[in-house]
Amino acid sequence: MRVIAFPGGDGAPAEQSWAAELDAALSGRVEGPAADSWRELREDVRSLAPPVSPELMQRLERELAVSPAAPARPPRRLARLRALGRPQLAGAVAVAAALAVAVIVVGFGRSGAANRAVSVPPVAAGPARPATNAGKAQAESSAVAEPSVNGDLEPSRSSPSSAAGAPPGRVQQLAASVSLSAAPADVQAVSDGVARLAVRDEGFVEDSHVEVQQHGSSEATLTLRLPSARLSAALAAIGRLAPVSAESQSLQDITNAYDAARQRLADATAERQALLRALARATTEGQIDSLRERLSQSRSAIAQARSSLQAVSQRASTAEVEVTVLGDSHATSEGLTLHRGLHDAGRVLTVALIVLLIAAAALVPLALLIAAATFAHRAWRRYSRERVLQSP
Amino acid sequence: MSRPVHPSDEHSPQPLAAASGGALDARALDARAFDAIFRECAPDVHAYVISLLGDRAAAEDVTALAFERLYRSRTRLDRRRGTPRAWLFSIARNAALDELRRRGRRPHYQLDDERSGQLDASDASDVGDALEHMERRATVRAALAALPLREREVVLLKFHGQLSNAELARALGISESNAGTRLHRALTRLRECCTDLDRQEVA
Repeated sequence: MRVIAFPGGDGAPAEQSWAAELDAALSGRVEGPAADSWRELREDVRSLAPPVSPELMQRLERELAVSPAAPARPPRRLARLRALGRPQLAGAVAVAAALAVAVIVVGFGRSGAANRAVSVPPVAAGPARPATNAGKAQAESSAVAEPSVNGDLEPSRSSPSSAAGAPPGRVQQLAASVSLSAAPADVQAVSDGVARLAVRDEGFVEDSHVEVQQHGSSEATLTLRLPSARLSAALAAIGRLAPVSAESQSLQDITNAYDAARQRLADATAERQALLRALARATTEGQIDSLRERLSQSRSAIAQARSSLQAVSQRASTAEVEVTVLGDSHATSEGLTLHRGLHDAGRVLTVALIVLLIAAAALVPLALLIAAATFAHRAWRRYSRERVLQSP
Repeated sequence: MSRPVHPSDEHSPQPLAAASGGALDARALDARAFDAIFRECAPDVHAYVISLLGDRAAAEDVTALAFERLYRSRTRLDRRRGTPRAWLFSIARNAALDELRRRGRRPHYQLDDERSGQLDASDASDVGDALEHMERRATVRAALAALPLREREVVLLKFHGQLSNAELARALGISESNAGTRLHRALTRLRECCTDLDRQEVA
């Protein structure tokens, strides 16, 4: 007869004390028949399993490389990556991607703002037909494609500068105004820099007024005339002299005025030609004197028409730029100062905060989705495992 | 020639983590600690898995997989979540259940009859005791096979894994009180099954 003794046969004790008693018996801390019977039961259960074959142990040692002689360990960095696990790795990749997107978004935003501050928008391109020599009619005709007096040259309504923004065949007048902020002590230097830029760009200072006070506000106002084709570069260069606090640009279409001036010149020229032909056919002194007087008037009319056309061409070929330099005690100045350092630090922190906010805006929903998916996956996997153990 | 390593051959009544000088309690397993836990726990893990799966080939694969996963997760080992041994058996349990789920079948308790029916003179001083041991094992094996799968798993995890109730609860994903209740119910039913088998034998 087999007798399998079980402790607590007369009724199960309270579960907590029972569990403690069981653990104490299995760990060998308690002696006695009951503890012995628990240990015997454990040994009986454990002995039912077949032993591990030496071949399996050798195979496991090979596969796991646990032998001290086998240095087959993955590199530390690789092991750390592997140890991260898929969810953590996916999270790290998502964070990096969100940060990259945020940096790109902020970078584009800032570059766009910078463009608005210091550069000319595409619509404000140079004039359609700049006039480079207003003094000579022939040169003017060739330079700005103005029709000749004989009318054998049709004006070219498109130019390289107009192709960028102005519609073909249109004549446009550009103007801009820029306000710069500089330290009061730097107003004069910035004004000089603006003037030098105007000369460098083949323009000139039409008007300037610089007022520098020792203990007060300093201000400078300059009116520049610059070639329209170089307006964009000039504004960008001006923006590099000092921080731009305000900028405005205007564009005026003067095609009608240009065409009217040109037509008046053509009409006056045609009238002079007709008078010259009539003079050649004149036979009496009275006709000759009358025609000469009219020719004299015609010359005046031609000169006036040509002058008018030159004025319109001048308006198209040059752009007026109003530059105001304001002495601001809070403006940044050249050199390394504590105020400037704090200002730059604040800007860096602001940008960093913006990046973090954008990243958080992208990451929070993503993290919620990943967490929900992970939770659902784990719950489903656990349910699937437990279902295997359910009795049929 | 090396002889097969049986779980009961290297049984230590003390928790293995304590027996290994605390090396297994390290937060992250280094090479030495991993080697120690492999040599100490591999027979027990294999015994547990093969008892759960009833398939030697699958048990070997799952055992290897469990140690591989332990190695991969060694840097995430947290002492608050139990000893490395408990962690390992939790991994082994999940791997075994995944294997069963992948095969689409339920576990069956079909261990080698040769072991349970083997007369091992080293286990007893005389033939009578050896026979009694052999009969005891046969009875326990039959009683285990009669247990519901969920209760049988708890008994196997408790005895092969040598886990405390807290570690058992973490491995099962339930509360400690639930784990204690389930273990108590399983052992009670095991006792009843053994008693019934004894009575049938006597009758």
